[in-house]
Amino acid sequence: MLRIFYLLIVLYLSLHLFWHLFRQRKFWDQAGTAIVLTLFLLRLFLVK
Amino acid sequence: MKGIKSSTCSAVLSLIMTGVLCFFSGRSFKTMHRPEPIYPSAGLTAKHWLSDYFPPLKNTHGDTEVYVFQGTEKGGNALVLGGTHPNEPAGMITAVLLIENIRAKRGRIFIVPRANASGFTHSDPQEGNPQRFAIPTTLGQRLFRLGSRLTNPVDQWPDPAVYVNPAGQTLSGNEVRNLNRCYPGRPNGLLTEKIAFGIMELIRKERIDIGVDIHESAPEYPVINAIVFHENSSEIAALALLELQAQGFDIRLEASPVNLRGLSHREWGDHAGIKAILLETPNASHGRLKGKPSSSLIVEGKDKFYTRASRLGWLFVPYGEEGIPLSSRVAQHLAGLRALLEALAETEPDKVIEVEDMPPTAEVQKKGVGAFLHPPT
Repeated sequence: MLRIFYLLIVLYLSLHLFWHLFRQRKFWDQAGTAIVLTLFLLRLFLVK
Repeated sequence: MKGIKSSTCSAVLSLIMTGVLCFFSGRSFKTMHRPEPIYPSAGLTAKHWLSDYFPPLKNTHGDTEVYVFQGTEKGGNALVLGGTHPNEPAGMITAVLLIENIRAKRGRIFIVPRANASGFTHSDPQEGNPQRFAIPTTLGQRLFRLGSRLTNPVDQWPDPAVYVNPAGQTLSGNEVRNLNRCYPGRPNGLLTEKIAFGIMELIRKERIDIGVDIHESAPEYPVINAIVFHENSSEIAALALLELQAQGFDIRLEASPVNLRGLSHREWGDHAGIKAILLETPNASHGRLKGKPSSSLIVEGKDKFYTRASRLGWLFVPYGEEGIPLSSRVAQHLAGLRALLEALAETEPDKVIEVEDMPPTAEVQKKGVGAFLHPPT
């Protein structure tokens, strides 16, 4: 149960980063967001 | 409008970059969970899993291989443990070298090369350690994982602020993931405690007579180049020490402290009554004074900072410019193991364990570890 709750938090933050990525105008801001998003996606799908 | 369009394009580009990063780093991450192959010698008689002795470990990252070499004649039973601390490579490599070469003539020898298998699936944070180190063999390089001293937090989390181990010792919280603080284990405990309990079950069910836990320590740590022994093993430890010193090894005896609980050399002896021994060699790659961590630091053992520290008298072992290579450390462990088995045969003739084709110490030192490893396939 705790695990599902934790993964939902990571999913929420990943979606938030995804949304944030499209709101940025500068390329480097987008690239920075993309790198952070990578870590969240890896945590969401890979680290068991 | 044009600005919005171009920023959408670059956002899509960034997303593609995210996908590429996820692919490559994910692939690299997954390989950490894939143990490198071991090619047992023709002398292997059985391969078990720790979960065969303690079923709750099945399908967990704590389950690990147990290689069995049984002689045709009856004798004693020995357990050799490598990889209790996966950041001490000589332990695991000594076990692998034994598995890939030996044949038992008398008695049985059980070898566990990755005692804390979970610890091999991650690296110590903030250390910049390489994921793997390479050992050249006759036909190419063999790669081995360099893990962490502790169980992967993904398998066991969170750590308590203070840990009271199964033997009743109070320790700092992260020691809850240190296999060599969790003996004699708890059948219903956390993963590391279950691994420790599984090893105790192996010892009890296979009627082990002597257990050797192979480690390394940092050159600035006082318990180094040592045979740590339980008081029931003092005689064989002393005999082995004499033999090793006669061979030119700078080594000493350390009695297992009675009030330091949870360690293999204490609890194996107290709870299973076996002769419990722990071997230590100096390893710069997990010391605090080292320079840049690298595969060559692990294998060649050269480090200018340790050389300087040695000149300043800060270390407990001499550390020259030639370093202390993995081949020397593994050779010392092999010599230690051989001397201990000989001492056991001398003191208890009904528990002789005779092993053939163990790589000779001088040859390992001269030709390197790779000369005795199976080439990669």
